[in-house]
Amino acid sequence: MSTTELPLTLDQAVTEPGPKRFSPARTAVALTVGAWAGLFWFVLLSGRISLYLGTRTNWVVPTGAVILTAAFMGRASSLRVSDPEPIGKRDAISLSVLVLPVVILLALPPAALGSYAVGRRSGVGAAFASTAGAAIPEHGDISMVSVASALANRETMKILVQRAGSVVSFTGFISRQSDEPATEFLLNRFVITCCVADAIDTQVRVANAPPGQFKSDQWVRVTGKVYPLGREVIVDASTVTGIARPSHPYLNP
Amino acid sequence: MAGSEALVRPTTAPWRNGVVALLVVGTIGLALAAASIERVAAIQNFILVFGSLLVEAIPFILVGAAVSALIEVFVPISAFERLSHLPRPLQLPAAAVAGFAFPVCDCGSVPVARRLASKGLAPGAAITFMLAAPILNPLVIASTIVAYRGRDVLWQMVIGRMVLGLITAIVVGWVIGERTKEELLRPRPSDALVHSHEHDSRMTEFFGHLAADFIFMGRYLVLGAAVAGALQTFLPQSILSSVAGVPILDVVVMMALAAMLSICSESDAFVAASFVQFGFAAQLAFLCFGPMVDMKLGFLYSGTFGTRFFRTVAIVVAAVTLTGTLWVQMIVK
Repeated sequence: MSTTELPLTLDQAVTEPGPKRFSPARTAVALTVGAWAGLFWFVLLSGRISLYLGTRTNWVVPTGAVILTAAFMGRASSLRVSDPEPIGKRDAISLSVLVLPVVILLALPPAALGSYAVGRRSGVGAAFASTAGAAIPEHGDISMVSVASALANRETMKILVQRAGSVVSFTGFISRQSDEPATEFLLNRFVITCCVADAIDTQVRVANAPPGQFKSDQWVRVTGKVYPLGREVIVDASTVTGIARPSHPYLNP
Repeated sequence: MAGSEALVRPTTAPWRNGVVALLVVGTIGLALAAASIERVAAIQNFILVFGSLLVEAIPFILVGAAVSALIEVFVPISAFERLSHLPRPLQLPAAAVAGFAFPVCDCGSVPVARRLASKGLAPGAAITFMLAAPILNPLVIASTIVAYRGRDVLWQMVIGRMVLGLITAIVVGWVIGERTKEELLRPRPSDALVHSHEHDSRMTEFFGHLAADFIFMGRYLVLGAAVAGALQTFLPQSILSSVAGVPILDVVVMMALAAMLSICSESDAFVAASFVQFGFAAQLAFLCFGPMVDMKLGFLYSGTFGTRFFRTVAIVVAAVTLTGTLWVQMIVK
């Protein structure tokens, strides 16, 4: 970078302020904070909160949007200075690092965790629900979280065994294993507590599904009878219907 | 400096670096959108984890930055100087217990600790506060209770986490204690973005510091979230689960997992409790180590205090957590 250096005396710098002009450094900082404020408003207004956060933490987004907007306005209110500070190379790199995620999250279409994540997270599997106190009622609907709870908790499993043959209706996405029959697949739904980073998979095996009709990652609603079998819970499907991804793709404890 | 001494100010293209950066970032964004990279499952997974960590943590960073700016602008240095005259055996526990009153997660406590140290609080006390707050604050205690509700080890886990977190934070503060604030704090190049010769009002100063802290911490959070996202995407957790039940090794593995996942301390108890294949000590280690040392904190600590500091914290926290969890397990048995 070729820069001309202008000698100033300290006295001049302190006692002779020039006319006020926009400070490049302050403007860059304000725009960076503003970009994040814009992202938070976008996430809030577009309904994408549920793609990133659980119900327990979704208040963070409106709170963040308001605070970031206040910070942006506060910084933007003092952009004109008598001694404008230039944007250094290191500052430009720092600000770029901070703005890049905003651009990435805005540029890419909304998505949710899918079958790729099932393979990566299956180690912790269904045990999660035991922590959420997800009980199986003696009568009434059985949820996917409570089925997962049964896989980790003997007491809950006893109740599920008593209710074997009950009709359930579960919504989730499909993942397939290479060695399973064409009429079977795993129905998955992630449970998140705070954000996607803590997502844990819950799954049931669906049997008697129409062969060749549904692919991995496709969202479906399965209705059928539920049967616990060893370390798995099987749903003997009566209907399997393809659906669009729900607006809230993750379950919350 | 003599009044006649020449100062140097670059005068050409003061906006150029910013414009170039904007063009580069914009081009990357357009390229990503045009390439439809979200179709690649691994990249989609990475972006989701990376994005969710940022969306959750950025507001906490901002709250921490706001508290830090309030301290800088409105709290006189003399207040901290008085605190620094307290006997050291009293300073560290007092700083740790102060964490009860600061209900933000681990990211938010870093800018506050930095500001406390720069304003004159003993470095050891500032670090103790920083490490204790994410474990001892009321929201984290409540989430731990909810996560372990119905388990035989509920109160052992809650009290064990609090006591071990408190002890670990104090030990690290004690180890750091001899350092001066100049040795502890890394100089911030981005201070140039805030400080000028302007005679700003207090509110302008406040927002200046708020923005500077946000920019400073935010970039390290971005790097840390990227590493955590990559590890969550490319390293199957089942590899780690295979050592469940192996004494000591399972504790070490759970500490490594906590560092890898970089989960907020307000939700980590739910994840820890889900590892039913791991024993009490391993789960307790996950809950104590994670809020003090993880991928995103590694970048935040290194940027704020230097890599030597991060190394020291990681080693001390790991040693105390390992010893402490095994000791607590013996008591619980």
